[in-house]
Amino acid sequence: MKFVSPHLFGIWLLVCAVSPVCAQPSIPGFDTSQIDSELKGRILIEELNCVACHSSDAPFAGRSKIAPRLAAVGSRVNPAHLEAFIANPLITKPGTTMPDVMGNLNDEDRAETAKAITHFLLSNQKQNDFSLQPPDHVAAVEGKRLFHSRGCVACHSARDERGNENSNELMLPQPTPLGALEKKYSVKSLVDFLKRPHAVRPSGRMPDMNLQGNEADRIAHYLLQDTRVPGHLSYTLYRGQVWEGLKSDTVQAERASQVDNFALESLGKIQHQTAITYEGWLNIPLSGSYSFFIEMNGGSLLIDGMEIIQEVPSNRRGPKKFNGSAKLWKGWHKIQLTYFHTGRDPKFSFEMQGPEFPRQALPSAMLSVSREPIPPFEPLAVEAKLAARGKIHFEKLGCASCHNDLDVTSPPGPAFSTLKNGHGCLSEQPGELPTFILNQKRREWISKALPKIKTQPLNDQQKIATTMVKFNCIGCHDRTGVGGIPPKLDQYFTGTKPALGDQGRIPPSLSHVGAKLTPEWIAEVLLRGGRQRNYLDASMPQFGEGNVGHLVELFGKVDKLEKVKLPEVSNIQESKDAGYEMMGTEGFSCIACHDYNGQEAVGAGALDIVNVTDRIQKNWFHLYMREPQRFHASVIMPSYWPGGKSVRPNILEGDSGQQIEALWNYLADGPRAKKPKGLSRQSNEIRVSDVAEICRGRGTAGYRGIGVGYPEGLNLAFDSEEMALRLLWKGAFATVNHGSFRAHGEQRIAFPLGIPFHRLKSMDDSWPYKGKSNYTFPQDHEYQFRGYQLDEKRRPTFRYDYGDIKVEDFFEDIPEANGKAWFKRTFTFETSDAQKAFYFRAGSGKKITHPSDGTYLVDQLEIRITSPHKGVIRDGDPAELLIPLTLPEGKSNLNLEYRW
Amino acid sequence: MVISRTIVSLLALISPVLFAEDLGEMWGTAEEEAKYYPIVNIPIPPEIPMRPGSFEILPDGRLAVGTRRGDIYFISGVFENPPAPKYRLFASGQDEIFGLAWKDGVMTVTQFGEVTKIYDTDGDEVADVYETLTNNWGYAEGHEFAFGSKHDPEGNIWVALGLSGSYKSNNLFRGWAVKVTPDGEMIPICSGLRSPGGVGPNAEGAMFCIESQGPWNGSCSLKHLKPGGFLGHPASYNWYPFVPGMDAPAVEPNSPSRFQVEKKRVKELVPPVIRFPYIKMGRSISGFRLNQTGGKFGPFEDQIFLGDYTLSLIMRATTEKINGVWQGACYPFREGLATGLMHVEFSPKGQLIAGGFTTNRQWPVRGTEPYAIQRIDWTGVVPFEIKEINITTDGFVIHFTKPIDTAQSTKTDLYKLETYTHNYAAGYGSPEVDHTTPKVIKAEPADDGLSVRIYLDGIVEGHIHDFDLTGIRSKEGAPLLHKKAYYTVNEIPKK
Repeated sequence: MKFVSPHLFGIWLLVCAVSPVCAQPSIPGFDTSQIDSELKGRILIEELNCVACHSSDAPFAGRSKIAPRLAAVGSRVNPAHLEAFIANPLITKPGTTMPDVMGNLNDEDRAETAKAITHFLLSNQKQNDFSLQPPDHVAAVEGKRLFHSRGCVACHSARDERGNENSNELMLPQPTPLGALEKKYSVKSLVDFLKRPHAVRPSGRMPDMNLQGNEADRIAHYLLQDTRVPGHLSYTLYRGQVWEGLKSDTVQAERASQVDNFALESLGKIQHQTAITYEGWLNIPLSGSYSFFIEMNGGSLLIDGMEIIQEVPSNRRGPKKFNGSAKLWKGWHKIQLTYFHTGRDPKFSFEMQGPEFPRQALPSAMLSVSREPIPPFEPLAVEAKLAARGKIHFEKLGCASCHNDLDVTSPPGPAFSTLKNGHGCLSEQPGELPTFILNQKRREWISKALPKIKTQPLNDQQKIATTMVKFNCIGCHDRTGVGGIPPKLDQYFTGTKPALGDQGRIPPSLSHVGAKLTPEWIAEVLLRGGRQRNYLDASMPQFGEGNVGHLVELFGKVDKLEKVKLPEVSNIQESKDAGYEMMGTEGFSCIACHDYNGQEAVGAGALDIVNVTDRIQKNWFHLYMREPQRFHASVIMPSYWPGGKSVRPNILEGDSGQQIEALWNYLADGPRAKKPKGLSRQSNEIRVSDVAEICRGRGTAGYRGIGVGYPEGLNLAFDSEEMALRLLWKGAFATVNHGSFRAHGEQRIAFPLGIPFHRLKSMDDSWPYKGKSNYTFPQDHEYQFRGYQLDEKRRPTFRYDYGDIKVEDFFEDIPEANGKAWFKRTFTFETSDAQKAFYFRAGSGKKITHPSDGTYLVDQLEIRITSPHKGVIRDGDPAELLIPLTLPEGKSNLNLEYRW
Repeated sequence: MVISRTIVSLLALISPVLFAEDLGEMWGTAEEEAKYYPIVNIPIPPEIPMRPGSFEILPDGRLAVGTRRGDIYFISGVFENPPAPKYRLFASGQDEIFGLAWKDGVMTVTQFGEVTKIYDTDGDEVADVYETLTNNWGYAEGHEFAFGSKHDPEGNIWVALGLSGSYKSNNLFRGWAVKVTPDGEMIPICSGLRSPGGVGPNAEGAMFCIESQGPWNGSCSLKHLKPGGFLGHPASYNWYPFVPGMDAPAVEPNSPSRFQVEKKRVKELVPPVIRFPYIKMGRSISGFRLNQTGGKFGPFEDQIFLGDYTLSLIMRATTEKINGVWQGACYPFREGLATGLMHVEFSPKGQLIAGGFTTNRQWPVRGTEPYAIQRIDWTGVVPFEIKEINITTDGFVIHFTKPIDTAQSTKTDLYKLETYTHNYAAGYGSPEVDHTTPKVIKAEPADDGLSVRIYLDGIVEGHIHDFDLTGIRSKEGAPLLHKKAYYTVNEIPKK
């Protein structure tokens, strides 16, 4: 059912000259916005891009919506659709903001013109690589979920079971139409568009949805599920415990597409425990009896729905041989084959034998995905003459005024300041002028706005209001009673933390947002994809800095809340300690519901409170903590200061202001704050706070690795098998999984395998390391690991023996004012006898330089020697930085600094 | 058009066929067991990642737990009624702890890569020294588990080292048991292990470990860590050159064969002390502990209690040395625990602590909890049980926990016996083979009714003697709580 407003239909039939089936330009937040009618007129002028023809230098000109860029349209859009759309935009895609510019042409001329313009548009690229790909119905299932949960439906119509948009009950008042996308896009071109929509539509009304991984692909497969591409066989590939049957919970469809024949190799490398269902049509050349020969573990063959061969698969045996036969008339027969790739030595062969058809695999030529021929996509061969004519049309019809990226200029219309009500495009008979479908109200709004738009600038409130309508922020967010999720769409807004109620699924209110969030965090969320509420299924779309960047400052200017008188804190440490106490399970137990520094809460899973002081304004924090329900009617967060009185009178003398301030002061230390009491240790991700964290086991540094995360954001992995530093990195520490750990973070510096100290026989001697079969290494080089001791910050001093030398090896993370920390490494050697010379290998890399005394650059790592030792650079691949050591009797040191 | 011969619905093919692994029948005695040995759950707070791998009792009466995550918790209140546990994290960040032993203020920990002494020096009861005693065994592949004992009387820790990937021995001393002295010296003891579990002594102080069913192991077993011995799996022969003063056995065992055949060829071969018939008595035995509670845990003093990972149950075992070789019997004790058991430990109050975890799909487990610590208390009421079976030159003496009906017990057909053994072979596991049915010629109850001596027409060397005493009644006429017992005959006494 196409969308026809009866109201519109009656009044604007005349205007809608080309067809009875058309609709007003869709601006999704417009009708429900409750915005002043004067502002509505302004929005229409901006959204319909009047200024493209009617030039103006007023500010609104810069805010007007720019038309899609057409330079690469030949790779993006199916030329057949392009031509149809140009010929009749208002019919091909009812609700489009593109006007009909050929109102005075007859049908034949219209078609000719559209064809010429299409040729012109495709002539702008040397090669238009548009082609069709068959849809993957497995990906489409996930795509359907994503389309409906990521927030697409806030602007576009939700779709019914068959994938149709605009089925009545799913409709917004006026959703942005998508039309028959399978006629417009290919999977590839739609994915490209979804990933970088601003490249084609720079005005950001179609936002970047921040889709992760292959989400864009899945959505594209869903929206294009009706695409038909000729081919030989359709298949679906399943993985899991396939011997339990395809309906088993453990079996999941992985992908689906088309393939040329039944040869397994056509599907790429097939992993064990896979099942494949094939479906297609078989064209039999001669009537007669046909035999089928299959070798497989299990599966079935059906022809015209009749079972020819069937065997239950088993993972406990090898393949078997089967045959069956059927009498088949000449012509098309439906063929369905299921194959289970499981059990011992799995293999698959499928052959047929029949009249004048010797036993062989089925050739592609006899197979088709469809009984009726599917026309293949034919690329448009651009005709230069037509293109030249199209260019003239494109110019003359004014197309280039909006689509101005093609080195064509259309003649300008009358200047904006000369426009009059009821004339030109706004007249009921626009004739050769662009035809916009606008009802009486919309015309009135535009008429009223026309004289004012230049002379009366918008105030800050109005700027926010119009922006929120134009980008449909109000489609998801409430702001002081305007906007929010319409009841019909409520079901599509879901989340992963049901215990949080509506707060766990509905995008947050933007009331007072400028008085709540820091401008930095608003900018992070609005412009750089920042996100805190990861439990919401809906994405926070990115509209582009040029389009919505002004909101950051405006929210701050407009939103005001009363100022709290902040308490004076005389002893900051006492305040932080009190905050620490309140945070933990022996205090208010904030961590029972809130995640903390990536450690998931045992309870509700409310947002992570570490770094909250970077995101939230202190004034709002005080207001909110005293009375959470003031800001969210349905908030789950209890008040710990009901009526201004603390429920914990024993902390900071029960002073509410001091207590809230103490929580703030504690949280202001961010991830470096002391871990609250009772914090869950269930998460496999280990985060470092005020003291170092250690994990041991296989993974990042061999099997006997020791990972250490330091409070200053530095990390290292030490191999206690070879007693050597293996890896340095910065940022997030590691994840553990019983007996193994993996480094996270970034800026990794890897060190080569091998022991730290060695007496080289010559400078050609290679540096020893433990290979697979030197079983007693490095004990045979007189090494013995002795463990480690922790200091007050729980940083380890590694201890080991090298011959008679007792070695202590300590790394200290040193902070620096610019936020960059570095490692100071101190070796302490103790020996009862003076030791003859040996080398310490400090590093190795492709390139080692010696820029200044005591300083060496080993690729990205700077090593400074601060004790009276000198390095030696040993050439080779890789080169090595060696430090010769001769130890006196007793204690001595080697001091190094690592910066990277 | 198609003419097809058979019409079987495709649905039959794609309907789910459930292959949930069958863990075998339960003993069916849990309800009765609970009257004497109830199970008490020890609550674990949700924020603690508790995957218990080993237990120890601290001198102050707290329970110490080493976890797979590599943490050590000290828990007070575990032995109270009801339990009121308070958890304190003593140490963290180690690599899968399967051995805890406390001595003189120091926790000695066996983890995958090493034996470590862990202690606190600043009095905050959070460890700050992690001192490596030894890490001189090879550790470079998956499945290379290490299980450690408590201190032996000389202060040594015994460590059993699993094979590489549980099939091969690619890294130094995989498949060996080693002894780590208080000075950190590592002394190789014996070869031939496959995938060992817990390590510990019997009442006489001989050291044992648990072995799993697999190649060269027809069933799970308790093995004697005999110095210089070869315990059955020849993959670890390759490390003899690294052991001063120990020579590799002159020959490798033949496959397939029998223990009683091969022990004559391979003179170092130490047959399993007690074999546990598969499913009937566990499927993957894990940790064990000697009951020396002075009677606080009932009538089973000086017996070994073993947990089973897959079947979530606890068994008993007794050992005796015959002709210089250890052998003995195993008995059902308690089933219905909540999770896969990894270790057991006796509390100072004479309660049995049992705990462990399940893994994600790796191995099936009957208990459904992802992890648990449980306590088995004795109510003080003695159950009517087979207490112990000892071998004689011509039969067995069966001891009971309560007097039997002596008049009835002379009937020889009350003692149902069969014997069988396992293949000793390179293939995985073994069915029970070579079945015989010895005849009970005579049964002589003792005057006090606490034991009965049975005379057989022949004991079968190398066989498990499988006892079914369903017909036996106590003096009060009650049946046995568990009717079954399994005695592994490695040797028949010469006199």
